[in-house]
Amino acid sequence: MIRAPLSITAVLDESAELVRATAARWAGLLLLTSLPYYFLQAVFLDRILELGAKATEYGNLLRSTAYLTVLAFLLSLWGRAVYARACRLAATRGEAVGREALRVPGPALVNYIYVASLCALIGWLTFFTVFGPLLAVMVAGLAVGTMELNERPGLREPFRILTGYGRVVRIQVALVFVFLVGFLVALTNIMAAFQIGFWLLSSIGGWDIPKWSLLLSGSNRRFVLMLLAGGVLAIQPFWVAANVMLIRKAGAQETGDDLRVWFEELKRT
Amino acid sequence: MTCAKVLCQECATQWDGIWHCAACLASRRGATVQRAPILGWVLVIAASLLILFCSARVMVWTGALLAGLS
Repeated sequence: MIRAPLSITAVLDESAELVRATAARWAGLLLLTSLPYYFLQAVFLDRILELGAKATEYGNLLRSTAYLTVLAFLLSLWGRAVYARACRLAATRGEAVGREALRVPGPALVNYIYVASLCALIGWLTFFTVFGPLLAVMVAGLAVGTMELNERPGLREPFRILTGYGRVVRIQVALVFVFLVGFLVALTNIMAAFQIGFWLLSSIGGWDIPKWSLLLSGSNRRFVLMLLAGGVLAIQPFWVAANVMLIRKAGAQETGDDLRVWFEELKRT
Repeated sequence: MTCAKVLCQECATQWDGIWHCAACLASRRGATVQRAPILGWVLVIAASLLILFCSARVMVWTGALLAGLS
């Protein structure tokens, strides 16, 4: 599946094919396992905005929501690990992947959970800087791409592998910006889908249209938060696939596999 | 190749991105497989749990700060 040299367009192009190859089963699992996490994050932010300045008086309520969110985060990390493995197997074989995607190696999974948790912590700690969460997203993306290269559990092992791929940082930065645009496009599409659905249903009648037009509008905070969660959810399979493809292409360039495949293709033509 | 012999591509096999001859591959296959030390598992799992716990606390702290600003 490695056809073009390492570049942002090649990574995006080939990762779109990966998503198509893994969409039937594994992208569904990724979305299902990520759904509770993004939903709880939206609930947490909703409570924060609802409580306003009184939030400090509701520590127990916020803490219980935060613990639930962290539990859901663990489930979503497992889903991402399975999906990343499915992408890697599909990229290697060039065909859909079966149940072997579920067999994520233990060291790879625990090291990935460790790095992703650290990224989440850094993301929340540096929330107000904007740059901090973006950096955390970048490192978490590289962590899911390099996940299967972890052969033994260790506190330094995942970072040793990550630093080995330091040369792809430029492409990773470009990927983050492309996916930021993708997120805005996904948001617009989801919003449009809701509006079209609402418009179609309004022709049927028999239900409280004024109420629903208020609920499904930008003035409803909960609807906006759910839209944001939906936007992130929609681009997630592409984000994971792009990172897997980026690391795979960078690795192939290092071992010369890309040249070998290119020569084989040249011979065939 | 660990033995540094010159071989054609047909006689060499790639493993973990490195080309090996048949003899080198056989010696690698015969080597005892080192299991990951239990300490590594314990450390990574403990560190992850601690970080996740801290994440939840920081999440509340950031949320409260955010609410104070709004």
